[in-house]
Amino acid sequence: MPELVVEQIHKRLGGNEVLKGVSLSLARGEVIALLGHSGSGKTTLLRSIAGLETPDAGRITLGDRTVFDADRRIEVPPEKRGLGLVFQSYALWPNRTVFANVAYGLRLRRAGDADVRRRVGEVLDRLGLGKFAERYPHQLSGGQQQRVALARALVYQPPVLLLDEPLSNLDAKLREEARSWLRQLILQLQISAVYVTHDQVEAMAVADRVLFLRDGRIEQEGTPQDMYEHPASAITADFMGTNNRLTGTLGAMADGRGRLDGEDFGLWGRLCSPIGVGSASTAFIRLERTRLADGSGENRLAMRLETSLYLGERWEYLLTRGGLRVRAWGRAPLPPGERWVEFPADDLWLF
Amino acid sequence: MRAHPVRLAGVAVVAVVVLAPLGLVLYQSLLNAPFFSPAARGSLAAYRYVLGDSDFHGAFLTSVIIAFGMVAIAMPLGGLLAFLVARTDLPGRRWIEPLLLVPIFLSPVVLAFGYVVAVGPVGFFSLWVKALIGSVPWNLYSVGGLILIAGLTHVPHVYLYTASALKSLNPELEEAARTAGAGVWRVALTVSLPLVTPALVFSGVLVFFLGFELFGLPLVLGDPAGILVLTTYLYKLTNLLGTPSYHLMAVVAVAIIAVTLPLVYLQRHLLRYANRYITVVGKGLAARPLPLGRYRWPALVLVLAWLAVTVGVPLSGVALRSVVATWGEGVRLTEVLTLHHFRELMEYPNLIRGIVNTLVIGTVGGGLAVAVYAGIALVSHRWQGRGAMLLDYLVMTPRALPGLIAGLAFLWIFLFFKPLAPFRSTLFSLWLAYTVVWVAYGLRLISSALYQVGPELEEAARVAGAGQARVYRDVTLPLVRFGLLGSWLLIFMIFCREYSTGVYLLGPNTEVIGSLIVSLWGTGALDLIAALSVINVLLIGAGLAVALRLGVRLHA
Repeated sequence: MPELVVEQIHKRLGGNEVLKGVSLSLARGEVIALLGHSGSGKTTLLRSIAGLETPDAGRITLGDRTVFDADRRIEVPPEKRGLGLVFQSYALWPNRTVFANVAYGLRLRRAGDADVRRRVGEVLDRLGLGKFAERYPHQLSGGQQQRVALARALVYQPPVLLLDEPLSNLDAKLREEARSWLRQLILQLQISAVYVTHDQVEAMAVADRVLFLRDGRIEQEGTPQDMYEHPASAITADFMGTNNRLTGTLGAMADGRGRLDGEDFGLWGRLCSPIGVGSASTAFIRLERTRLADGSGENRLAMRLETSLYLGERWEYLLTRGGLRVRAWGRAPLPPGERWVEFPADDLWLF
Repeated sequence: MRAHPVRLAGVAVVAVVVLAPLGLVLYQSLLNAPFFSPAARGSLAAYRYVLGDSDFHGAFLTSVIIAFGMVAIAMPLGGLLAFLVARTDLPGRRWIEPLLLVPIFLSPVVLAFGYVVAVGPVGFFSLWVKALIGSVPWNLYSVGGLILIAGLTHVPHVYLYTASALKSLNPELEEAARTAGAGVWRVALTVSLPLVTPALVFSGVLVFFLGFELFGLPLVLGDPAGILVLTTYLYKLTNLLGTPSYHLMAVVAVAIIAVTLPLVYLQRHLLRYANRYITVVGKGLAARPLPLGRYRWPALVLVLAWLAVTVGVPLSGVALRSVVATWGEGVRLTEVLTLHHFRELMEYPNLIRGIVNTLVIGTVGGGLAVAVYAGIALVSHRWQGRGAMLLDYLVMTPRALPGLIAGLAFLWIFLFFKPLAPFRSTLFSLWLAYTVVWVAYGLRLISSALYQVGPELEEAARVAGAGQARVYRDVTLPLVRFGLLGSWLLIFMIFCREYSTGVYLLGPNTEVIGSLIVSLWGTGALDLIAALSVINVLLIGAGLAVALRLGVRLHA
């Protein structure tokens, strides 16, 4: 039985339909990421699961317990759902020590003093916070506060952990470390979790499955690899990675491939949506698949290298041809001039 | 989430307590005799009498003139002071700032008395000036004098809203204008003030209806020249026909409320626009103040002059009058100094009770009122429903009731509802009236503390397993402890200051300093008034000192 089932959730906020029928299911031990731009409805969905928002329609089931059903007018208040929630702002109570913050959920469950001390101690140790138990939140760094928030949500072993952009308040470097640490912790504790983020890399790194939300609907869902390598729509393709984007019309079709005819070029690519010859088409190719080539060849274009940007671990080339602008990555700086650029047909997706 | 029954019950209780007095006033105005009289019948006779009375016309007109005059004085001056203190390098603005709010906490009747003994026809300053130049160049007992004093003492209301709007403006807006080449005054006139215009308009409406509710100042300053405003006209009606003319008083009350209530609601409407340009920028908003240059010292002189006239003159008058045996032309100050008046107070048990009651109602009553306000605030806390909006309108309704009328209405409530009758001559009646009169103010204090609590701090507790009541107990209230303490101090001062609400509730055991001064004013016992006033100011001063020491913000 899935830990969590969400069926056809609709929600209006201030005359604006934020969720337009979203469904998902979370298996035991699974982590799903709700990925989307701000305003896509992902946080509203998470808060609906937690019971902090009341959807207008739909049903939410935790294990064998219906916690929300608009038709049957069932609404279990958040405190009776037994979930764990990590807030984007951490929401640590500033007037309580780390220990008291974490112990709160256990005290509400009427755990004995000794039991509280043992379990809080365990979870703090596990998250590397053992020596901070008597500190107040403002005496901790952002990363430590983030872990306290996690400890507070984990301590009473909720069946499902909800995380609302838990890493977005950390600076970039710390975020990458926390990402892998979090994934490891989730695997060790076999936590079932719903993870909201707007960062596709974070979503892919942490989750077993990614749900891409757009405009209140699920645009596409699948494993991180699926989502990255087989996007079902131009929007998913665009969101999941860093792309070059070419526009034109579909000039010809053969064996699941199509030819994109631009201003003064024709490139073959994989057909990813049912479009007909003569219709407008947009092609996407990941930057890392766009290559500089030695000379002319199949699916190669002569372009002008305008400049090379130094990004530390690599160089980025800025190439133009008429109105077409393309970026590519390489290991060395190159002087401006004419270059050949290859767009491998398998990696060029036509929508 | 659907509205909780506790929330709905809270709205119902507030509705009863707020609307019952209003309803009773309206009901009484439609009778031809006091409601307890067996002869009372439904009739418009009282309206015919009052609306046909030329004194009423005069009083109404005077009230309108005074209210407009106050706005004309308080708005520009309050706006200027706000700009100087909030935005410029005015010397000493840190210690000036709390002083600017002092007039709000002083009892108007004490201030009025202070002006009489300081700059009245035979006031200290008047006689000193006369000795210097041969005559007194001003006439306190005139509509002009009344407007000037009422206008000056209401400057803090404008200052308060304008300064807080100015402080929350993004300083980069001003810096952008300066970088583009605008000088300080140009920035003030073309950037800062236009951006706070909504707040200025809001406070202008406030001052206007406060002008309609004015009682202490016109009672004391208008009386000698026979100047009547609506509230003093109502007060004069009290014993006009030998028997209580409640029906006539009710009509006057209805007339006042008919003007003030729409203004109060208009104000709420304006509030939505008042913060239109306010961008809540997080921390680090400490903008570099605009340099005043050569206007620095003249600006300081202006601020100090205003302080001297509004606080210095009346308070020094009160203080001096309380320690002289007599005063008049030819009297030398050093020969008449005495502490006799304070000793004399001891001979009047009702005055002693008044002082004790003032302390009790300020401390205990203030604490209980804060508890009630906190309860109401929690009822509507994070509640978006229609009930919350209704509650919002309900709690601001008493603002339209001048204290005098609120006190009268509660007197009637205690007479009308027999089960409440035993409480009439206890402090409870006074406390209830005070609490209702100040409910809008108190709620604003507490709501602004609650506003600081991030919603996710409460949500985190909900998700962790705490019910709503538990969340309030474990998270919300502990986080606003300091805010509640501060509110208590401010309510203490406001309750000590209050005078008009107690006028009609005054009786054995319900004396407070303010209402005693009003009733003594009728008997001309200046010595006792002076001594009581000094004690009143000292009580409030003590509260103010504690508040400042603890770093309590003096406004919501």
